[in-house]
Amino acid sequence: MPARPLSRICYVEDDEDIQRIVRMSLERLGKMTVELVGDPFAAIDAILAFKPDLVMLDWMMPGMDGPTLFKKLREHPQIKDIPVVFITAKASSAEMDQLRALGAAGAISKPFSPKDLPEQLRAIWGALP
Amino acid sequence: MNRPSAVIEQSAVSAAPAGPFVAAPDAADRKHVLAERVELLYRQSALGIIATILVATVATAELWYDQYKQLVIFWWITALLIGAARFAVEVAYRRRKDDDPEKWLRWFAIGALAAGVNWGFAGSVFFPSRSDEQQVFVAFLLAGMASGGIPLLSSAWWIYALYAGGILIPFAYVLGTYGARLFTELAILVPVLYAANVAIAFRLDRVFASGLRLRHAYGRLAQDHEALNHQLEGQINELMDAHREVAASGRKLALFAERAPIAVLEMDANATILDVNPAAETLFGYASTELIGRSVLHMLFSRDKHGTIDEAWWGRFAAAAQPASAFQVPCIRRDGLELVCEFSFTPLVNDESKLLSVIAQGRDVTQQLEAERIKREFTSTLSHELRTPLTSIIGSLQLLQSGVFGDMDKDVVELITVAERNGERLLDLINDLLDIEKIESGKFTLVPEALSLDDLVRESLVLNQAFAERFGVKLDVPAELPRVQVYADRKRLLQVLTNLLSNAAKFSPRGLSVEVGLAVQGDTVRVDVQDRGPGIPEEFRGRIFSRFAQADSTVTRQKGGTGLGLAICKRLIELMDGKIGFADRAGGGTRFFFELPVHREAA
Repeated sequence: MPARPLSRICYVEDDEDIQRIVRMSLERLGKMTVELVGDPFAAIDAILAFKPDLVMLDWMMPGMDGPTLFKKLREHPQIKDIPVVFITAKASSAEMDQLRALGAAGAISKPFSPKDLPEQLRAIWGALP
Repeated sequence: MNRPSAVIEQSAVSAAPAGPFVAAPDAADRKHVLAERVELLYRQSALGIIATILVATVATAELWYDQYKQLVIFWWITALLIGAARFAVEVAYRRRKDDDPEKWLRWFAIGALAAGVNWGFAGSVFFPSRSDEQQVFVAFLLAGMASGGIPLLSSAWWIYALYAGGILIPFAYVLGTYGARLFTELAILVPVLYAANVAIAFRLDRVFASGLRLRHAYGRLAQDHEALNHQLEGQINELMDAHREVAASGRKLALFAERAPIAVLEMDANATILDVNPAAETLFGYASTELIGRSVLHMLFSRDKHGTIDEAWWGRFAAAAQPASAFQVPCIRRDGLELVCEFSFTPLVNDESKLLSVIAQGRDVTQQLEAERIKREFTSTLSHELRTPLTSIIGSLQLLQSGVFGDMDKDVVELITVAERNGERLLDLINDLLDIEKIESGKFTLVPEALSLDDLVRESLVLNQAFAERFGVKLDVPAELPRVQVYADRKRLLQVLTNLLSNAAKFSPRGLSVEVGLAVQGDTVRVDVQDRGPGIPEEFRGRIFSRFAQADSTVTRQKGGTGLGLAICKRLIELMDGKIGFADRAGGGTRFFFELPVHREAA
């Protein structure tokens, strides 16, 4: 378990409504700082600038999907150690297993409950080595 | 289809040694030869009788004139009677109905002996009383009669011995007792003559016997030959029939291939095309003459596509010579269009397992695969596109309800609750529809693991307690549950339990309990969920596990639910090798249950 509490989250998601809900949930209920990125191609620069504790990725995005972006993050020397959690509407257990096999720290299925989201993320954070 | 094998069996049977080829036993052989001897004797019998009567008549005339007239007449009449008797025997033989040559031989021997003895009587009575000339005549007569019998009787030497003995033994006795030295010497020579004649008769008998045997053997050979010919003719006819049948079934097969909507190609072991049917011509856009003699791997199968069949694959297939089916092979049509064809390859091998040719049957599955892909994509898109807005809707409502924005008007909270509940209902419906679609298209995969069913039951109660409380219902489970393991998909089993518990809660009267039980019976474990609800209406029982089955459409509005829950439960439990059912509960209400096989870990 990491020594510091989870406080800085970068969320890569193209849907603005969901962006807003996640921001409200994490900031208002979870008391965390959230950086939102709408364009997956801008994600690496944003992450380098923001230095988040944890990155949340949407699975389906225009231009570049979550798994592709995830691989790029893994290959980046300054980003590769930041844990990544997927938020996905793909719900089958096989797909969830596939995500974990990629090296994701966790997966949260859509629709998620904004009431529970901060706790879910903290649980994943707490389970990290 | 059974006929050709029947033909083969028949020829196998007729090729086995049949009657004519079995060697006749010696006894039957001897009997046949004996019958031929008897026939030969009787055939010459008339000649013997006539000659005897003629000679006897001439002798009677010669010996007639003196005091022995009565005796001569008596002798002549006796010779005539014997002749008549022998003739009667011959007639009887000709008309015989039995098959007993020995009997007829005996009768013939009696006749011959009688004739011989009659001549012996003539010799012994007339010889002493005659003049010298007449004595020479009698002696000549007797010698002639004795010798003349050889050709007629020697096909049975012992009959000749009886006949000649009847003539010569009394005559030798008369000569020996006559008193003259010359006659005494002759009396010694007569037995020598007799012995010599019998010896000749014996030799002739042997010659006759071997001749007859030879003739008989030849007859049998001819008979066998005829039987063999007959049999060969039968086999040729059978072969012709079989040939006609093979030709007919060949024509039938050719017709099948020609009319079949499936492309049929015949290749040799090197993948060179030998023949194609019209459907193959249509499918690939080539005329059969363009395809025959070319390699199927180069002409039809796409060379640079994943999953194609190449020389290496074909080499392995030809070496194994085992049928291979349901291969999706990328193919190229004459006009360059890419197709995916599903092929089955059937090797034709001979008795020595040598590959003669390969029959490939294929059909175009390009459109089918495309349709499946579109359906998958649609399902996936539907899932994503419906869930994304729902995420926003439900998320927003939940945030409002969470109280982070301060206190709200009671009516507003109530409306937000309604909106959220219905949003979740919509989400349930989408999830259920996706589940049932996956299950029914066979794309549904379970992730089974060994798990404690008693723990899972307790967990499901905790998860559904809040839902039950909304209906004022308590979920009850005994404090002690039997420890039991099942091999099942945890998430899906929880889904089934949740479904049964929420159904029971929805239909239970307020203030009562839903009782959950767990029982192990042998290799099966059963989970019961019992309520005190109104029970299942009679007319609904038959389709309770069908899709969109709800007893009454008003129920959906009152209680919620998609009408897919139990249909999904049934399919999930069946996928886990279990069964699901329901029964009336004593005292009112319904008992739903499912059973799963108990999992016992290998020690």
